[in-house]
Amino acid sequence: MRLFKSSLLLLSIVMPLTTSAQNKIFPYKYFTDDLPNGLRVITVPTDYPNIVALYIAVSTGSRNEIEAGKSGFAHLFEHLMFRGTEKFPAEAYNRALKNAGADSNAYTSDDRTVYHTVFSKEDLDQIMMLEADRFQNLKVPVDLFKTETRAVLGEYNKNASSPVRQLYESLRETAFKTHTYQHTTMGFLRDVENMPNMYDYSLEFFKRYYRPEYVTIIVVGDVTHDGVVQLVNKYWAGWQRGSYTPQIPTEAEQTAPLSTDVAWPTTTLPWVAVAFKGPAYSDTEKDKPALDLISSLGFSQTSDLYQKLVIKEQKVDTLLADFEDHRDPYLLTVVARVKDPKDVEYTKAEIIKAFDSYKAAPVAADKLSAVKSNLKYGFALSLDNSEAIAANLAPYIALKRTPETLNKLYDLYASITPQDIQQMAKKYFVETRRTTVVLAHKEKQNASQ
Amino acid sequence: MRVSNRLALISIVLLILTAGATDIGFARDLARTGKASTSMASVLLPNSSPLVSFRFLFNAGSALDPKGKEGVAALTASMISDGGSRAMSYEQISAAMYPMATSFGSQIDKEMTVFAGTTHLDNLQKYYGIISGMLLDPGFRDDDFNRLRTDAINFLKESLRGNNDEELGKEALYVAIYNGHAYGHQNIGTVESLEKLTVEDLKKFYRDNYTQANFVLGLAGGYPKGFEEKVQSDVAAKLAAGAATKLALTQPEKISGLEMQVIQKDTPATAISFGFPIPVTRSDQDWPALLLVQSYFGQHRSSNSYLYKRLREIRGLNYGDYAYIEYFPRGMFQFQPDPNLGRRQQIFQVWIRPVEPKNGLFALRAGLYELNKLVRTGMSQEDFDATRRFLTKNVNTLTKTQDAQLGYAIDSKYYGIPSFTDYVRDQLAKLKLEDVNRAIKKHLQAENVKIAVVTKDAEGFKQAALEGKPSPISYTSMPAKEILEEDKIIESYKLNFNLKKVEVVPVDQVFQK
Repeated sequence: MRLFKSSLLLLSIVMPLTTSAQNKIFPYKYFTDDLPNGLRVITVPTDYPNIVALYIAVSTGSRNEIEAGKSGFAHLFEHLMFRGTEKFPAEAYNRALKNAGADSNAYTSDDRTVYHTVFSKEDLDQIMMLEADRFQNLKVPVDLFKTETRAVLGEYNKNASSPVRQLYESLRETAFKTHTYQHTTMGFLRDVENMPNMYDYSLEFFKRYYRPEYVTIIVVGDVTHDGVVQLVNKYWAGWQRGSYTPQIPTEAEQTAPLSTDVAWPTTTLPWVAVAFKGPAYSDTEKDKPALDLISSLGFSQTSDLYQKLVIKEQKVDTLLADFEDHRDPYLLTVVARVKDPKDVEYTKAEIIKAFDSYKAAPVAADKLSAVKSNLKYGFALSLDNSEAIAANLAPYIALKRTPETLNKLYDLYASITPQDIQQMAKKYFVETRRTTVVLAHKEKQNASQ
Repeated sequence: MRVSNRLALISIVLLILTAGATDIGFARDLARTGKASTSMASVLLPNSSPLVSFRFLFNAGSALDPKGKEGVAALTASMISDGGSRAMSYEQISAAMYPMATSFGSQIDKEMTVFAGTTHLDNLQKYYGIISGMLLDPGFRDDDFNRLRTDAINFLKESLRGNNDEELGKEALYVAIYNGHAYGHQNIGTVESLEKLTVEDLKKFYRDNYTQANFVLGLAGGYPKGFEEKVQSDVAAKLAAGAATKLALTQPEKISGLEMQVIQKDTPATAISFGFPIPVTRSDQDWPALLLVQSYFGQHRSSNSYLYKRLREIRGLNYGDYAYIEYFPRGMFQFQPDPNLGRRQQIFQVWIRPVEPKNGLFALRAGLYELNKLVRTGMSQEDFDATRRFLTKNVNTLTKTQDAQLGYAIDSKYYGIPSFTDYVRDQLAKLKLEDVNRAIKKHLQAENVKIAVVTKDAEGFKQAALEGKPSPISYTSMPAKEILEEDKIIESYKLNFNLKKVEVVPVDQVFQK
C-alpha cells in the first residue's frame, strides 16, 4: 500500500488516497494531511452510517513531566481542557456538546493525551470549531483551576482502594530511577495534593505542549476527506507552532535485580509483579514485537504457566502480562494474584522460570503460528465501528503519527522466527533488567530494596 | 471477576478481515440438517457482515437462587463459559479459541443469564462446535467447579469488599433495598452459600432452568442460510422443553424515612450511593420520561448532567455524580451499559463517587438536597429541550456494534417494545415537559431513601448524620457567593433518619450470608 502525503505547504491541495488496503492489518483507506503549522489530520471514511468519531491525540503524557513536583500534570491538564475559553466558557461548551448528542471524554497515559468525541455527522462543523477553539484559546481562571485540582484528587481517591494501583506505583518507582516512567500517570499523591498551587505552571504547560506539532486529529466515520480538510483549514490553520522540546532523562543501565515489598493496610490476597525492562516501541526493529509475542505466548490464558497456576494447581486466580507500547524502553510486566500467601515465592519463581524457558530453547513453530493468528485476528477484528477504529488508532498515531505503523508492526510480527524469540529472550530476560514487587496485607510497611 | 471481564472483552467484537471465503460446505450441511423447532424464541439480525455474533439468553437468573443456595445461577453460568464441556477440557477450549482470538462469556443478572461471543465467518463452524458443546453439553468437572467457586468467593471478598469501594456501595445498596426479596442478594451469591454449594446443585439448576422454554436465540451477522435452524435443532435435541420459569415477585419492602447502612472499612475515601424502588421499567409508559430525567439529572459519565455540575464542577467534591433508573453494574469501567440486564423491578439510584471523608456528610446532603429540589421544581423547558435533543441523537451510540444491536433487540422483546433506538426517538418526540414533570412528582422523592456509605470512621459518620449538626464543605478554592450561600442550606439540610434502620456494618459482613 502506498500512502500519498499532502504537501507540507498547502493543506488545501486535495490529497489522493491510498488505493489499496488489501492484505494489510489496517484494512481502511485513509488520508493524511499536514498543515504548514505542523498539525496533522488523518481521515478514515467508513461505511458505518451517521456517526463520526473525532479523536485528537496529543503526543504528551506523564512522560513529559520532567520537573520534580510536577508529576500528574499532563493528566490534570486533560481535565483543564474542559474548563472553557473566552468564547465558549465551560457551560457554553457543554451546552453545545449536549446539543450534538455527543459522547465526549479524554484520557491520559504515559506518552499521550487523547480527547475523544463521538457524534452525528451533521454536527461535524460545530464540534470541529469547538475543539479548535479550546486547543488554541483555553483560558482557565485560577479559581476554576483550583476546583479542578480537587476533582483530580477525587479521581485519585476513587482508585485508592485498589491494591493494583499501589502495585504499579511501587513497581515504577523501584524500576526507574531517573526516567519519568518512574511515576504513574496519576502522579505521586504528594504532587496531586499540591496541584492547587501550580496555576502558573499550568500556563507554561499549555504553552509548551498544546501546539500543532504535538497534535494529530483523527476523524473516522461517515465523513468525506474533502469535508474534513475544509473544516480543518477553516478552524485550525491559524494555530501557531511552538518551539519546546522536552529533555526526557535517560534511564541509567540497571546493574542488579531490584525488588520491593509493599504492605497493604486492608485485607487482600497477595499480588506479585515480575517485570523486565524491555525495548521501546518500534515498527522497524524486531525486539518489541518479539517480546509482544512472548508476553502472549507465555502468560495468556492458553500459556503453559496460566494452565499450570490457574487451571491445574489453582494457586493463582489472576495472571496477566502487560507490555504497552511506549516511546522509551518500558517494562514487560507479569502480574499474578495468589490465593494463599504461602505460595507467593513459588509463584514468583514460576513466573521467572517461564521467562527463562524462552532463553533455553526456540519456541515450537505451531505455538508461534497460533499467537500470530491470535494477535492478527484480535486486532483486526476489533475494528467493528467507527469509534473502535479511532480508539485503536490513537495510541499508534500518538507514537508515529500514521496508521501505516500498524501495517509495519504486523508485518514484523509475521516475520518473527522461533530463533528471534530465543535471541530476544536472551537479550532482555536477564537479572540486571528485572524488578519484582510483592504486595500483601500487612499492618506495617516493611520495605526493602 | 471473569464473568464480567470476559463479557466486556467479548463485546469488543470482530470485523472485516479482507476476503475470506465463506464456508459454503458448511452452509450446505446446515441446509440439510433441516428440521427446526418453531416454538423457540429467537432474535435474528442477519446482515452481510463477515462476523457472526451469538447471544444465547435464558430468562432465568439469580432471582431463582433457592434460599441458602445463593450464587447457584451465577456459578452455573460460569461453569459453562469458563469451564470445560463434556467433550473438551477448559484447557482444550482455550487453546482452540486462541488462534481465532475469540471467546465465549457469560453475564448473570436477576432474571437473565446470557452467553455471548462473536467469531469471524471463516471460523464459524469450529467456533460454534465449541460453544454449542459448552452450552448444551457442559462438563461440570470438579476441578473447574473448585476453581470457579473460589473465583466467585474472591470476587465478593476481594474485588468488591477489598478493591472497589464504589461497586461495593452500589451493590450493598441493592441488597439493602431488596431485603427479603428474590433480588435480595448479590448476583454472585454470598460467601457462606457459595462455600456450601455442590456440583449437584449446579446440575439441578441447569436441568430446571436451562430449558427451551426459557431460551432465546440471538444471532446477528453474516451467518449462512439455515444456520439458525441448525442451532435451534441442536438446542431442541439437548435441552428439556420445560416450562417458562415462573417467579412471582413481591414488592420491595417499604422505606420509611432515611435508612442507612454505613460500611466500616479502612479506606482513604468515602463512597456514597442512595436510592429507592420505582415501579417503572422499559415496558411502562413513564419510562421515556424518566429516561430523560435521568439524563438531565445524572447522565452516566457525562460532564453535562446537573448533579455532576453542582457537585464536581462547581465544588470539586469528587470525580463524578450520576443517576440511574436501571441496573448498571461496572459503571466505573465503562461508558455505556451492557444489554441483557432486563428486570421486572428497578430502582432509582444516585451514585456519588468517593469524596474526602471530611466532606462525606456534606456530599450526602448535597445529593439528597438536589434530588429534593428536582422533585419540588421539576425541569425547565430549556433543560427539557436540550436533554431531548441530546438523547435523540445520543441513543444511536448505544447500538453502534452488531453485538450491541443484538443485545438491545433481545431486551426490547423482553420488555415488549419496538426496536430500542426507534422507540426512544419516537417516544421522545411525543414527550412534553408536563409529562416529564408529572413523572418526576409521581415516581421520585427524597424522603424515603436507602443509603449505603463506605468509610473508615463508620461510627463517626453515623453519629454526625444522626446528630444533624451542620456539616460544612471544606474548600481549596472558594466558589462564587451564591454557591457559598447554597452551601449554608446544604450543610444543614435536614436528614430525617429512621433510627431503627441506621446501622454500621463491618465490611467483612457484607455479602457474607
